[in-house]
Amino acid sequence: MMKLRGHADRRSGWADERRARLPRRALLCALFAVAVVACKDKTQAGGSGGAPAGQGKRLKIAVIPKGTTHEFWKSVHAGAVKASKEEDVDIVWKGPLKEDDLKAQIDVVNTFVAQGVSGIVLAPLNDSALRAPVKAAVAAKIPVVVFDSDLQGDDYVSFVATDNQAAGRLAGEAMAKLLGDKGNVIVLRYQEGSASTQKREKGFLDVIQSKPDIKLVSDNQYGGATTESAFQKSESLLLAHKAQTGAVDGVFTPNESTTFGMLQALKKSGVNKKVRFIGFDTSDKLVAALREGDLDGLVVQDPFKMGYLAVKTMADHLRGKPVEKRIDTGARYVDKASLDDPAVKEIMQPDLKKWLGE
Amino acid sequence: MMLSTSSGPRRPAWLGPLIAVVVVYAIFAALTPDTFLRTQNLLTMARQTVVVAICALGMTMVIITGGIDLSAGSLVALTTVVVAWMLQSGAPPAVAVAVALAVAAAVGAVIGTLVGKLRMMPFVVTLGAMTVLRGAAKGLAKEQKIDCETKGLETLLSADVSAPGLWITLALAILVALMLGYTRFGRHVFAVGSNEAAARLCGIDPARVKLLVYTLSSFLFGVAGVMELSTLTVGDPTDSIGLELDVIAAVVIGGAPLAGGDGSVVGAVLGALLMTVIKTGAVHNGMPSWTQEIVTGAIIVLAVAIDRARHGKGRR
Repeated sequence: MMKLRGHADRRSGWADERRARLPRRALLCALFAVAVVACKDKTQAGGSGGAPAGQGKRLKIAVIPKGTTHEFWKSVHAGAVKASKEEDVDIVWKGPLKEDDLKAQIDVVNTFVAQGVSGIVLAPLNDSALRAPVKAAVAAKIPVVVFDSDLQGDDYVSFVATDNQAAGRLAGEAMAKLLGDKGNVIVLRYQEGSASTQKREKGFLDVIQSKPDIKLVSDNQYGGATTESAFQKSESLLLAHKAQTGAVDGVFTPNESTTFGMLQALKKSGVNKKVRFIGFDTSDKLVAALREGDLDGLVVQDPFKMGYLAVKTMADHLRGKPVEKRIDTGARYVDKASLDDPAVKEIMQPDLKKWLGE
Repeated sequence: MMLSTSSGPRRPAWLGPLIAVVVVYAIFAALTPDTFLRTQNLLTMARQTVVVAICALGMTMVIITGGIDLSAGSLVALTTVVVAWMLQSGAPPAVAVAVALAVAAAVGAVIGTLVGKLRMMPFVVTLGAMTVLRGAAKGLAKEQKIDCETKGLETLLSADVSAPGLWITLALAILVALMLGYTRFGRHVFAVGSNEAAARLCGIDPARVKLLVYTLSSFLFGVAGVMELSTLTVGDPTDSIGLELDVIAAVVIGGAPLAGGDGSVVGAVLGALLMTVIKTGAVHNGMPSWTQEIVTGAIIVLAVAIDRARHGKGRR
């Protein structure tokens, strides 16, 4: 409201300074605009009256991922849809417009707070920057469940996620075993300031650095937000450390986009199958690579379960049931041999079509 | 003299964007009347427009001179990092902000010198600056987001009528509009953009005008960066990638031709507001992100198409 009035003020000032006569039509338009705004404002006052949604109404839960294009988030989405059907609530799935854009995610949270949803389920892109928007949500009596990545403070109802450091250690131990405790290892990090992947990297590095005969040749490069940027970084990283001459024995990547980017780079450099390669998270292409032997192993989380439990926890909380403050959704190391284990299949290939209707 | 070409009896440039904002707002309001019309939503939209709007003020000046600045997003990110870094080193907020704004203005002075004195293409100079500044931000932040005590800076911008950020934006918009419309410097800016050779013959020094324009605009990008930090509460070197394109879109929707010589501050601010309304409306309606991108892109093209048609009629 203020903003629109502000524009109206400036508009007339501008007209004077341009010394242009304001055409009658423009004046009519402006009047129309004011009329529309005024009318709508009345509707609002008479309508919901700004009461928080969800009291006696159907629950509406906003689910905010870090992005929407990665396979990982599609599984989370499917799990969230499953929970919404079981709990009979509505969910709105909305990620930042650009994958991993912090400001955009803050804007989405603020918009949902302004909209007055019943609850917000959020995978924060940064553990401190999302604190203020979450505080604002709580102040507006909208509870928040955090999932996937941690958030500082304790404004949230519950934290539903993989124990990332433990998952990173799983990868580190598998790598040490593959290499027989000796060799040169590269870690391609994901993105500056992303808490979940930093913990995985740390878990992996903790194990690797405890082995005296494993040498860490690079751990300060970042793949960035997209598969494309990860591919380019991987390519130059492999070149720089002379992977073609056999100088690199093992590679670890901490999420889906870096794993896929690295996979492409290893193939292009012709050192796939020669370098031991452990990735994180899963997609159809990564599973295919595991079968081919281009990938030695993947640490998989259970994104379907994560999305499911996050929404279920929120629904329980909104209905006054007690919920756990920390819910671990587990991680598992998968290699070619364990691919056909039915338990693994369930995690790796949840029935997305059934829930997302794609 | 040059201003007369853009005033006269024809419709003002900001009228189109104003109508567009009202129509798009009305459409979303009709679709989700119970949530879109809440006062808090209007304030949230105003808050989300601030960064693009402040940048658009600077970009309008640059585009009027016939230039372009692709480094806006990187400079905003660098500013958030500089402020956060200063705060982390124990500087009081006023000092941190002053230093960051000085850095931003200095960057603008360098760009302005290269474009003005050395007559280099603004596109190329600022394309380079975009990457250099992004790298500098990452380097200064040691490839991390900088956590800091924001010491009150976080209250600068909030979805509240009393938030100083909203009023600073309004005040800056009025200042820049008055400067472009009423001062000799403002006339020189339009003159350089319309016809640089003629401006020189009239005794205007285009190099000096451009130096000032780029310094001022980068200073404004710095102000936007401070606002961004207020939202983020961390210094983020990967922030605002591609922001300059939103800003250029806002200025173009606002009726400024990229060829220079014309432009409207009010139009640009409305252009920024239009994009926020679309973005917010998409969230309220649960529209997927891809439709939102298509709609925004289509509106940019449509805005320019209408502007063309309008100009064409004026000539005949």
